[in-house]
Amino acid sequence: MRDDLPVPASVVADLRRARRRQRVAAIHWVDALYQVYITGIVAAGAVLALSTVVGDSRLDPAAIDRARASGPAVLGMVAALAIFVGLRSGSRGGPLAVEAADVRHVLLAPVDRGDALRAPALRQLRFAAFTAIAVGAAAGQFAGRRFEGNGAAWVACGAVFALCVAGLGLGAALVASGRRLPSWAATLAGGALVVWSVADVASDLVPAGPARTAGRIALWPLGFDPLGLVPIAVAAAVVAIGLAGVAGVSLEAAERRTSLVGQLRFAVTLQDLRTVLVLRRQLAADLPRSRPWLPSWRRPGRALFPVWQRGWRGVARWPAARLVRLVVLAVVAGFALRGAWTGTTPLIAVAGLALWVAALDAVEPLAQETDHPGRRDAVPLEEGRLMVRHLAVPAVVMTVVAAGAAGVSLAGGRSALEAEAAMTAVPPMALAAVAGAVSSVLMGAPKPFDELAVASPEIAGMRTAVRTVWPPLLAVGGVVPLLVARAAVESGRPVLDAAALSGAVVLGVALLVAAWVRYQSDIRAWWAAASEAAMKGGGATEAADAGGTP
Amino acid sequence: MSASGFDAAVDAGADADAAVDAGVIGGEAPAVEAAGLAKAYGDLVALHPLDLQVEAGQSVALIGHNGSGKSTFLRMAAALLEPTEGTVEVAGWPVGTLEARATTSFLPDDPVLYDDLSVREHVEYVSRLHGGDGWDGYATDLVERLGLADRVDDLPSRFSRGLRQKTSIVLGLVRPFSLLLVDEPFVGLDAGGRAAMLDLLDEVHGDGAAVVVATHDPGFVERVQRCVALRDGEVIFDGAAAAADVLRLVGA
Repeated sequence: MRDDLPVPASVVADLRRARRRQRVAAIHWVDALYQVYITGIVAAGAVLALSTVVGDSRLDPAAIDRARASGPAVLGMVAALAIFVGLRSGSRGGPLAVEAADVRHVLLAPVDRGDALRAPALRQLRFAAFTAIAVGAAAGQFAGRRFEGNGAAWVACGAVFALCVAGLGLGAALVASGRRLPSWAATLAGGALVVWSVADVASDLVPAGPARTAGRIALWPLGFDPLGLVPIAVAAAVVAIGLAGVAGVSLEAAERRTSLVGQLRFAVTLQDLRTVLVLRRQLAADLPRSRPWLPSWRRPGRALFPVWQRGWRGVARWPAARLVRLVVLAVVAGFALRGAWTGTTPLIAVAGLALWVAALDAVEPLAQETDHPGRRDAVPLEEGRLMVRHLAVPAVVMTVVAAGAAGVSLAGGRSALEAEAAMTAVPPMALAAVAGAVSSVLMGAPKPFDELAVASPEIAGMRTAVRTVWPPLLAVGGVVPLLVARAAVESGRPVLDAAALSGAVVLGVALLVAAWVRYQSDIRAWWAAASEAAMKGGGATEAADAGGTP
Repeated sequence: MSASGFDAAVDAGADADAAVDAGVIGGEAPAVEAAGLAKAYGDLVALHPLDLQVEAGQSVALIGHNGSGKSTFLRMAAALLEPTEGTVEVAGWPVGTLEARATTSFLPDDPVLYDDLSVREHVEYVSRLHGGDGWDGYATDLVERLGLADRVDDLPSRFSRGLRQKTSIVLGLVRPFSLLLVDEPFVGLDAGGRAAMLDLLDEVHGDGAAVVVATHDPGFVERVQRCVALRDGEVIFDGAAAAADVLRLVGA
């Protein structure tokens, strides 16, 4: 064999340094300052909003005791989720997203892949550590205002806990990627840890989960527990093992990931949710089945409802992962509904969001018409009529999902009254979720040039916030009838009447969204014509004022 | 003829005899040996179990319809795809190992280049990644023959598809190798580029490297020693063939 192998990785390092110098030289200091300004505003806004939610009144001793008892398990759940996400990402080639050209030219060259990949891995770890410390310290600062003890200790422990969680998550990803852990194994191992942690939070009968030990770190100011040192050591170990084995990354996964992650980041910056969803599915290999679960039913002659039929054919090809996701989301929504019914009102947001995410999958046939407007416009049917016909299948799918969520919320034997309230809430929950998802898909990315494109960042940011919040808000609104029913039970009023009335309001909103789907192209055409006419009118007036001919 | 990448490999290796003995450069081991090599994406089979051996220094055309498995095979031999089953070795080394990477040059049908490097910088980088000294006489010769001489200091990210393909060809040939895997080499090339590419493939093969080219071009099979036809991921023909045979086999 050639005696000069491997080629020293310093070649790669030299080029990276040179390219970084070029990039830094190309950045204008005004741009850099502007980015710092925007980041500062967003960070300050987030801290302000959170501090308002958290408050700063001291907790009573009973609440502190509760936090001491159940806090480690709750915080441990965060660590378990980080490990789950890390394992899943690693099994798909993450967390690194090296450049496509690096995959082709560097990773296929006879250089030590470990040497070539460790630098980007360390850079990613450094960024994650910095972010984790900042977020953890801010959270610790909030905690310090409500708990007893030294504020600086809370800040430090919050930072250490977040750092540990980041290390566990990224380390798990690096290990899974380097050892080429199969996706099913990653899901199984990470899922088991999450389920154990959730059970640890929900029940005293389950033995304490391993993730609980990580949660102890954040609560050290309430009492030092040396067990908290274990996850810190584990995090350091998995990061070290991950870095040592980084060369084992699959080139196939790396190449697929590298192009998709770049597009994904770009789509996120454009707030283009639909593109983000499509790319995320490709990243997760969440692609339609070649063979449908059920054979297509064909009848000779013309199909009476081709759009309806097309929708079901799409559903019949959903991959198993998507079906499982819908089941999981229904279960999450069900537990959240249960929590909201028993008094934890904010959980309606969790239920609504879970149903909205499920509906984003359900509206796929309609979304594909939006993805390919040329194909849509080739259909000899008015755009609005075609799109509104695509709403039927998602409505049926989401009714099933919402009914599943209601079923989960009633699990364990509930009263007839509760069953009545839950089942009455199914149609509004389903249709509001579809309305929210359809709004997300049809809004698409903001246009690069419109009347607000030259507005200040503050105004543009406000619009972004509204665009982002409106669709999930619609879905969360669909859960409100359940709260109305709860209030009726508390005040002794008829549950069915209260739920039906509020449900009718939600259905009315969903119908308005359907009407928007049907007439949006007409409305836009009318608006464009009216704007043009107004511009011409304005021009004529100006010309007349100036004494000329329009 | 100027020194090709193959010659450069011998120069770079310093001890050519030792290299030949080890089978890396023109030794006894087959250039590519696939055993039961298969690839599936979920329930979609891209390549049925394939046994294929390409001898060192042999020129082979892989032909077949779209989706027949040609690119899948090449990408697995280049270590860009992982087999679902089976193994593939390059010059006796498992694919993806340091030695196999030093031996194999892959010319893809989709040129992947850095956004912020010029053609010259690309060449220098790739050459150095393979133990070379950077820009040399052979690089100058390659860019001239492919019509890129005036564009070497430009960014290929701003090139047309054809010019990027030519840049990719330069990068594939400027480094040492003894196995050249080429996927659809003529896509996007003008007549001059196509002629230059054909000459370069002949030269590389003449210098002793094994060349495996996946193509839809029936005429190309008459320039190679062996033709392997794939259909739906299975080998339907393996041997010497003429263009008429190819048209009969796959209707390409």
